Amino acid sequence: MSSTSPLSTEERQSRFELRTLLETSRLLIESQDPDFVLNNLLLITMGKLLVPKGMIMIHKPGDEAYFVSKSKGRGWLAEDDEIIADFDQDILDTSVLTGEKYASVFETLGIEKESTIFNLKTSNHHLGFLCLGPKGTKQPLTNHETEFIESLAIISSVAIANSRMFQELRYINRRLDRKVHDLNTLLELSKDFNMMVDRDEIARVFKFAMLGQMLIRTFFFALDVDGEKTIVSISGVTEEPDDIQLEKLFELEDVTHVDGSEECHFLTDNNIELVIGLRFQNEKIAVVGVGPRATKEGYGKEEVNFLQSLGNLALLTIQKTLLLEERIEKHRMEEELSLAKTIQEGLLPNPIPTIKGFDIAAINVSSRQVGGDYFDILKLPDNGNLIAIADVTGKGVPASLLMANLQSMLHALAPIDVTLEDASSRINDIIHENTPADKFITFFWGKLSTDGNLFKYVNAGHNPPMLFRKGTTEPELLEKGGVILGAMPSLMPYESDEVELKSGDLLVCFTDGVTEAMNPDQTEEYEEHRLIECIKKHIDKSSEEIIDEIIRDINRFSDNIQYDDITMIVLRKD
Amino acid sequence: MKNFSIAKRQIEDISVLDISGELDAHTASQLENSLKNLIDEQSYRIIVNCSRLEYIASAGLGVFMAYIEDVRSLGGDIKLTNMTDRVYNVFDLLGFPTLYDILDDEKEAVNGF
Repeated sequence: MSSTSPLSTEERQSRFELRTLLETSRLLIESQDPDFVLNNLLLITMGKLLVPKGMIMIHKPGDEAYFVSKSKGRGWLAEDDEIIADFDQDILDTSVLTGEKYASVFETLGIEKESTIFNLKTSNHHLGFLCLGPKGTKQPLTNHETEFIESLAIISSVAIANSRMFQELRYINRRLDRKVHDLNTLLELSKDFNMMVDRDEIARVFKFAMLGQMLIRTFFFALDVDGEKTIVSISGVTEEPDDIQLEKLFELEDVTHVDGSEECHFLTDNNIELVIGLRFQNEKIAVVGVGPRATKEGYGKEEVNFLQSLGNLALLTIQKTLLLEERIEKHRMEEELSLAKTIQEGLLPNPIPTIKGFDIAAINVSSRQVGGDYFDILKLPDNGNLIAIADVTGKGVPASLLMANLQSMLHALAPIDVTLEDASSRINDIIHENTPADKFITFFWGKLSTDGNLFKYVNAGHNPPMLFRKGTTEPELLEKGGVILGAMPSLMPYESDEVELKSGDLLVCFTDGVTEAMNPDQTEEYEEHRLIECIKKHIDKSSEEIIDEIIRDINRFSDNIQYDDITMIVLRKD
Repeated sequence: MKNFSIAKRQIEDISVLDISGELDAHTASQLENSLKNLIDEQSYRIIVNCSRLEYIASAGLGVFMAYIEDVRSLGGDIKLTNMTDRVYNVFDLLGFPTLYDILDDEKEAVNGF
């Protein structure tokens, strides 16, 4: 518009400066890149004043030092140079420094005193200096120019402080994100592990999670299961540790930053940086080792924590699978034992055979699932009957195996025409040869003649059966025989004895589970005299009833606590 | 089984694995097997195209860590391409991109070999 009055040079310049200031400030404030801000500040000011040299020095917080962030022109410090410098507070508070007044500052920074230094500062922070060399015209800066640069310096300082804050926030945000990711990994794996029962899979997933989370390629995970130490997953090592090295790994501190003093060449050979021991119920049962991180960051407290957490998670899961297996194994054993019990029960006569002219009853009560007591009543080829009772030393599966062995020998020998004495010797020799020295069998057996009037027996170390003659009060003890089965070879032949059985005579065979039943205080045994008393009291009852009475009496005496197998045969001639 | 699958393609001597779905603790071993097979077949130039990868857990990233150096020492490389932002974020958080190649487009990776 023509009506506009022409502006004076001064006004035009002032407007230009204002516009520059406005545009620059927008540019700088919007930028979050300090480097961009500094570069622009330097270029704008150098261009504005036409100075051939300029430099921006940034104070290193915490250090009494400055580094050269930007440097243009020749002769001054180069970019990235550092100088040590500590200035008084009044210098740091001054906006514009001139060579005349602050010669020492110029000297320290290595610039001519004709130059000008502008302080880069916010209201409470000193950031550094903008150093501008002498003008090409060698003229000093006008007040106007100084004010303009000062304004730019202030705007730039604010922009830098902002972008610094922004960067710090971004850094904090990233750390937070990373933390969230760490927690997520833990959470996710705890869910994943829960669904796994395969130890190899758990160990493999643990490995990959560690490799990914720490950005590493060298890793090992060693486990101690019942004293046996093995590597369960490994990555990036040249050779697995041998047993000696493994032992050493378990002896290290729970958190070991490897420095070579461990004297474990597996660690140094494979560049392992950190070894962590993991405990379960205070016992170290796993060791995890990790190599250098690809990011070269090393292992701080947070990484150690994470490793421990993830390691414990994997370890607990593995522990869980072990317990599960143990339970399955126990369950299987129990099933097998119950099967063994069924088989063993099948080895005892059931139902109890009847013998013409006799009232017979028998009982076997095992204190465990399987036992070592044995009794039998067998028909012989001559129509006579064999009666046997035995007690294997020890209890449980070993005793039941030996008992089964005896049973088969007896059944093999019964149909053959051998004397009780010879048969006893043979059985003794076989058992002696085939069983450990501490396994014996007390054994009593006898042949009831076809007409039932004679009973010939051999007693190999068994509790003597009691023969109650009708009308008498004290029993005869059937003791004749020889040594216990299995203790030594049959050097001396077994002896036998023969007793005549009359109507009303009562024979009671039993194992030591009867006489050695304990009272609740475990101070006293049931013993023969109580057994005899009990039988005498019920002598007129049936064989079945007599057994019931004896069992009842024992249970009363022991308060129903049974420690040993109880076996009895009661036989009365009609 | 979770939703994860791997398809293999060949671009001249470069093997491309297209992985899709969720790569986590359960599916990591599938990727491991694929990479192992490629190494056994001596094809060391590998591109893993992640365009249809929806999620990656640390364990999935661990598989790359376990094999990338081996492949490189054999003269090849494993290059990852076409990641969604969500997947890239996980790689980025853990510091992976500064060390290994993650490219926007598969073509770039092909040309990079």
